[in-house]
Amino acid sequence: MTGFIRGVFRFRRGPWEMLATILIALGVFMLMQPFMMWAYTYSFITTLVGTVMFIIVSHFPE
Amino acid sequence: MERVASATPSPIAHSVRGLSDRAIAWVFVAPTIFLLLAINIFPLIWTIQLSFTNYKANRIGREVKNVGLRNYERILTDTDIWLNMQATAHFLFWTIALQVLIGFALAWLINKKFKGNDLWTTIIVLPMMLSPAVVGNFWKFLYQPQIGLFNYIISFFTGVEPSSFQMLGQVNLAPWSIVIVDTWMWTPFVMLICLAGLRSIPDYIYEAAEIDRASKWRQFWTITVPMVMPFLMLAVLFRGIENFKMFDLVVQLTGGGPGSTTELTSINLKREAFEKWRTGYASAYAIILFVTVFGLASIYVKALNKVKER
Amino acid sequence: MSSFSVTDTSSRTKRIAGTLVIVYALITMLPLVWIGATGFKSPADAISYPPKVVFSPTLEGYVNLFTTRTRQTQEYLQNNPPTNWADEIVRQYDMVIVGPSKFGERFLNSVIIGFGSTFLSIFLGTLAAYAFSRFKIPLADDLLFFILSTRMMPPIAVAIPIFLMYRNLGLSDTHLGMILLYTAVNISLAVWLLKGFIDEIPREYEEAALIDGYTRFQAFYKVVLPQAATGIASTAIFCLIFAWNEYAFAVLLTSATAQTAPPFIPTIIGIGGLDWPAVAAGATLFLLPVMIFTIMLRKHLLRGITFGAVRK
Repeated sequence: MTGFIRGVFRFRRGPWEMLATILIALGVFMLMQPFMMWAYTYSFITTLVGTVMFIIVSHFPE
Repeated sequence: MERVASATPSPIAHSVRGLSDRAIAWVFVAPTIFLLLAINIFPLIWTIQLSFTNYKANRIGREVKNVGLRNYERILTDTDIWLNMQATAHFLFWTIALQVLIGFALAWLINKKFKGNDLWTTIIVLPMMLSPAVVGNFWKFLYQPQIGLFNYIISFFTGVEPSSFQMLGQVNLAPWSIVIVDTWMWTPFVMLICLAGLRSIPDYIYEAAEIDRASKWRQFWTITVPMVMPFLMLAVLFRGIENFKMFDLVVQLTGGGPGSTTELTSINLKREAFEKWRTGYASAYAIILFVTVFGLASIYVKALNKVKER
Repeated sequence: MSSFSVTDTSSRTKRIAGTLVIVYALITMLPLVWIGATGFKSPADAISYPPKVVFSPTLEGYVNLFTTRTRQTQEYLQNNPPTNWADEIVRQYDMVIVGPSKFGERFLNSVIIGFGSTFLSIFLGTLAAYAFSRFKIPLADDLLFFILSTRMMPPIAVAIPIFLMYRNLGLSDTHLGMILLYTAVNISLAVWLLKGFIDEIPREYEEAALIDGYTRFQAFYKVVLPQAATGIASTAIFCLIFAWNEYAFAVLLTSATAQTAPPFIPTIIGIGGLDWPAVAAGATLFLLPVMIFTIMLRKHLLRGITFGAVRK
């Protein structure tokens, strides 16, 4: 866990990619879940942020 | 190979003859990039631009107004589209669950290397390579009450009257009819990838576990499952992406009906774009689907590289 | 294999595993066998209840698939005896053959567009794959991801701007338009697969050729290409199968001249609804080549469907 936090602050690729992956997965879940309308409404922006983040952080050093 | 030693020109000499490596690299890559820019990227940018307008492709003279984010706002607060998303989710969840279960079981059985397993694997794989539209259309025939083979087989095993249920016509059955056909078609895909995963596990790991007196059950959960997992992830992501944009099979089978119970997002989008001709609105819809697929695709490529390193 | 191995499975386990797999395979084959069988049924047999497993085969479905027919008066039928076996089959419904159907044309379109786009994607894909495999290209990973992601786009989403673009350029419902479109979709698969195949060819071969006095291009042409022949052939079959099976673009962007078989087959109408034997006959003719190719491909199948990630 501390390694993860350190990785985040040093802009390492691994943990940031993990964060982006979680955001994308969350966005996709929000898009298709049958429970809350507001989650559906904000799903697109979540996925978009996750995807853009993924593209950026894949250029961070390992 | 014999002439290698006889003539050894300096590297400068062969870059003078003909093009330099750098130039060749660009000459080789450029046509591909150009084609993709023209047929994929330019249209994508155009779609983004259209998604902020109220353009209608069937009315050419009409004034095009910029509506800002209105299209996105309307789609993301529309409960009908939300229901289409849920229909897609039902389809996604059950096809993936069934395909992973059956596919993994089949791979595990085939990996027992019984006599003739190659032949039967090839036969099982056939449906996956066929045209979904043509096959989907024929499944419609199999699903007919009375004359269809499917209902007849179900009635043979359960005793239910074959004409008493309609797989494609009933609201409660139609979502399952598309799950069944997709599972029939794509289980072999998951099976093949699982099989590759199983075959990548070296024998000595099991031998070591055997020496440690680990039970077969324990071996399965501590060796087989974790080692196959990266492969399984690959299969799940790929099926997820493919089924999220599912169109041909389902449009032929149910056309989205009855009502809109099997109206997956792509079918809904087709209706908006090519039947109601709300091009601007449909473009925003397309961008939402596209970003979702693009996000999943980037996770997929990550999983792909993980498997490649193995 | 060592003489004694703990991972060897007993013959009993093998038998059980084999039986289960064979049962699944037979169930899987059932719809395909049914398509084949329905093609040889008469329309009445095809829609009988309960479904007929035993029936007297007829070529009616195939005749209906390839011809257009019209009803004639008894007088006409008596004055004009049937000229061939196909005519004879049609006569039992008081009909005569008046000409060929559109099926042949649509099938030919599938062939033209399939082979055209396959040739183009293999040609461009091999060049690009070689460059990605052998040279340092700036941002190579991003470019490769970009190439792959184009394959993942939902066809309906892409079809909206393509439809507008083709309308402006006059490419809608043309062979060229469809060939370019399918090439654009297939090229990602071609580049990824072929890069894998070329990566496996040792660089030493080319380096030896370069030292020998070959230019880069000659080395590519005379050393790398022959080595990659198997890979190129299997990639080509994958591209061909994709173009052959594609439906979404075909149904949205073509209607007459360039329409391929998949959007056409489900619309073959007979008396009172779809003419199922003719549909099944068309489906059989359309699916059979792919089945044969799949059996030929079986060693490369896994590699093709995973974009070269799993090499077996």
